[in-house]
Amino acid sequence: MSEGAPIVVLEGVSKGYGEGANRVEVLRDLDLEVHRGELLAVVGPSGVGKSTLLHLMGLLDRPDAGRIILGDRDVSTLDQEARARARNREIGFVFQYHYLLDELNAVDNVALPLRIAGRRTEAARGRARELLERVGLADRGHHFPDQLSGGEQQRVAVARALAMEPPLLLADEPTGNLDRNNAEKLFSLVGELHLLEGLTSVIVTHNEEMAGRCDRVFRLAPVGDESRDV
Amino acid sequence: MRAELHLARRYLIGLGRRTHVATVSAISLLSLALGVLALVVTLSLLDGFQSTIKRGILAQSAHARIEPARGRVLHDPAELVSILHRELPDVGIVEIVQGTCLVRGIGDAVPAHVEGRSDMEAPAIDSVLAARIGAGAGERINVISPRRRLTPMGPVPVHAVVRVNRVAPRQPGVDGGVLLLPLAQAQRLLWGHKVVEALELRTFSDPWRLAGTVRSVLAGHADQLRIKGVRELHHSLLLALSLERIMIFFAVGLMLVIAALNLLCNVAMVAAEKRTDLAVLAGLGLGPRALRRLFVALGLGIGVLGAALGAAGGTLLAVVLDRTKALPLPRGIFIVDAVPFRVDPLMVLTVTGLALALSAVASWLPARLVARRDPAEGLRYE
Ligand SMILES: Nc1ncnc2c1ncn2[C@@H]1O[C@H](COP(=O)(O)OP(=O)(O)OP(=O)(O)O)[C@@H](O)[C@H]1O
Ligand SMILES: [Mg+2]
Repeated sequence: MSEGAPIVVLEGVSKGYGEGANRVEVLRDLDLEVHRGELLAVVGPSGVGKSTLLHLMGLLDRPDAGRIILGDRDVSTLDQEARARARNREIGFVFQYHYLLDELNAVDNVALPLRIAGRRTEAARGRARELLERVGLADRGHHFPDQLSGGEQQRVAVARALAMEPPLLLADEPTGNLDRNNAEKLFSLVGELHLLEGLTSVIVTHNEEMAGRCDRVFRLAPVGDESRDV
Repeated sequence: MRAELHLARRYLIGLGRRTHVATVSAISLLSLALGVLALVVTLSLLDGFQSTIKRGILAQSAHARIEPARGRVLHDPAELVSILHRELPDVGIVEIVQGTCLVRGIGDAVPAHVEGRSDMEAPAIDSVLAARIGAGAGERINVISPRRRLTPMGPVPVHAVVRVNRVAPRQPGVDGGVLLLPLAQAQRLLWGHKVVEALELRTFSDPWRLAGTVRSVLAGHADQLRIKGVRELHHSLLLALSLERIMIFFAVGLMLVIAALNLLCNVAMVAAEKRTDLAVLAGLGLGPRALRRLFVALGLGIGVLGAALGAAGGTLLAVVLDRTKALPLPRGIFIVDAVPFRVDPLMVLTVTGLALALSAVASWLPARLVARRDPAEGLRYE
């Protein structure tokens, strides 16, 4: 199922790290389209560049060459300030690690993107409470990250990713640190929200079974091999 | 409140349960406060001493002095005095002659500076001369003038026997060994007739401006007179005082610089420790400008609290020490009996402003580095 206009387009994107002899080419001349509304899985061996790809799509990093188009504009040329604004409004991130801020309780963590966008504190907290209710943590709002289980932390992270109602959700092995039961619960939650919120989602995963439940699987192969679309 | 300022406050205050960054902030805050406190107390102490010295100078010595431009004696002192009395009725005038004589008490004769003053009624010696010749109040001393007089036995030095009426403390800024005499007696001893070598003036209004006023009043005699004010009379002492202020300000001000460097280290430490958090914040859309603001707010928050604490503490300490005379001084050596402090509000403001400026710089540097990073760098490895 790959219908709808593309929301993200990567054209001839290359990315490597390091200089001289230490230079590693991770992505070379990569083309990829993510269509509006699809749930795309990205799979591939460890170290192949899945996180790198996700970081590029999420404007967390810049490609060495090629263009990245988000919505209908070329975002590879934006300055730092504009990229930050685009991340705030258009992209929600979930990582393998929850990356919640220790100093803030669950409500304030979820409210962060709203506060960054300039919403008033109380309005942002109200919306954050709603979101926590959505992910089944209505009564844990005043708890701090270290008072939550791994699965709960990850669900707070999902709530935070969706706070600004971004059209695009990027998840990098969101279940990687969870046991089977929790992983299953989180994956179902993401799938559910994907449909409910009308999201476009890209999920990096090692789990073939989960990848199989997505609309499409993108297999990333090491530079030199060919990356295949299945 | 903006997200970045809210976070800066959280980092600064901590929550009781997350104390590492808050502890680091508290240490920076404390060192800044100590720096400001030290500067305020030291400068107040200095100011206290210096204004005591200046007050002493103004209380005990002339505010202006009129001397002949050439030669030793004033041409027409009576006319000068009458002009001054007429134009400046509230200025006190003392006529002066002076010279060096040998003075003998019980032991050997020693040279002494002899000053005849129209405001002296009875002879007095200062404590230095009293010690040198071993004489005190009520005793007779022999004063031998450099002037000679012809007698049947040839020229002999003019001399007088003087009964010391009192022993005066040594004047600040003057070498000791002074004999003060009533004007007429000194005139006889040093000149043999009535002359005046200088006029000393004192005023109750503004001593620092007396010389200027006198110059304009005596403008008609300008080419015959040399008129010195407080600044000229105590030039080297006043220069030493202001040099002392500058040196002490820089020396103690270094404490503030060190406190600011400590703040810089601590802000940089927070930046390193919170590297992942900062990357997450950037990922959530906090732009470079807001990231810089977060750090400047953190540094300035520490700066404002530290400077306020230090300024308040320093002022309080200085005022309390001054009022309670908690630090006594040995009597007789200084004009005052306890260490004086004088808190100048302008000085406190300057020190506080300096502390704030230094903390702004100290937080700006790490803030710039943080804002330049791409968020992916901080998210790569957990
Ligand atoms: N900042 C960096 N400096 C140097 N090399 C890097 C850097 N970031 C990533 N790499 C290298 O780039 C390659 C791709 O990394 P990436 O994290 O994208 O892989 P991945 O597919 O997500 O792997 P995993 O499944 O283990 O998460 C790896 O070889 C990694 O060592
Ligand atoms: Mg990865």
